[in-house]
Amino acid sequence: MTEKTATLSLVTCTSCGKPIPPGTEATKFLCPNCGEIQIKRCGKCRKFGRAYKCPKCGFTGP
Amino acid sequence: MAEDEIKENIPEVETTQEAPAVEELLLPRDTLLSAGIHIGTRMKTLDMEPFIYRVRPDGLFVLDVKKTDDRIRAAAKFLARFEPAKVAVAAARLYAQEPIKKFCEVTGATPIIGRFIPGLLSNPLYPNRIDPEVIVVSDPRADAQAVKEASRVGLPIVALCSTDNEFAGVDLVIPTNNKGRRALAVVFWLLARQILRERGELAADKDPAATIEDFEAKISREEEEEP
Repeated sequence: MTEKTATLSLVTCTSCGKPIPPGTEATKFLCPNCGEIQIKRCGKCRKFGRAYKCPKCGFTGP
Repeated sequence: MAEDEIKENIPEVETTQEAPAVEELLLPRDTLLSAGIHIGTRMKTLDMEPFIYRVRPDGLFVLDVKKTDDRIRAAAKFLARFEPAKVAVAAARLYAQEPIKKFCEVTGATPIIGRFIPGLLSNPLYPNRIDPEVIVVSDPRADAQAVKEASRVGLPIVALCSTDNEFAGVDLVIPTNNKGRRALAVVFWLLARQILRERGELAADKDPAATIEDFEAKISREEEEEP
């Protein structure tokens, strides 16, 4: 019997930096200003209206 | 002599550099102010504080027109990246319904007018279910059901927010007066024009065939005409 291991890489929230678990009310979209960086927001950050910042152009939302 | 000449020239160069840059808005400032897009409410939320310019003596909070202008540009860039039919626009407010109808006519977006039927976005068994990729709401409080369902299915939400709105569930805010008839018409007209320009369907110095008056709700006029 050989043990198979699977690694699951979770995306991190742009606002809080924590990994986003699957199945939550998270979203991802391209930066509204530059459109080059993908912004990822976890359900909690969306709910509490926490700010996010584009690492490339510095656009701050929401 | 040469050094004296250089010294004399330095202040002139500095004064030319200090000249104030001319700010360019999407519409002349007077037009925006006469439409009242900067007028907020007597209530202020902490979320909207960065967009508030000042408070009037009568207690009304006033929004910063420059920030509204910047956000309209950013929102237009953002919405122009999606396929036109995959953009849904929701309006429960009466004064926002006509601007949204016109906006969807001009840009090809999907309108959700009046009552938002629960399950329209999130119930896979609902026969009239729609499947957009982004949603625009005219007021996150009035369109709370749309915001709730869009959050649940993971859609990005663009919202027109006044000084009394909170950012719960919203991904991109356009700070503006979201209650005035004229203000809503101007904002949706500007957004439509900017989207068309971003898509390359309209030249940078041209306006769409539909005017701001076409975007304006005619409800109050009809009511006035009735005996």
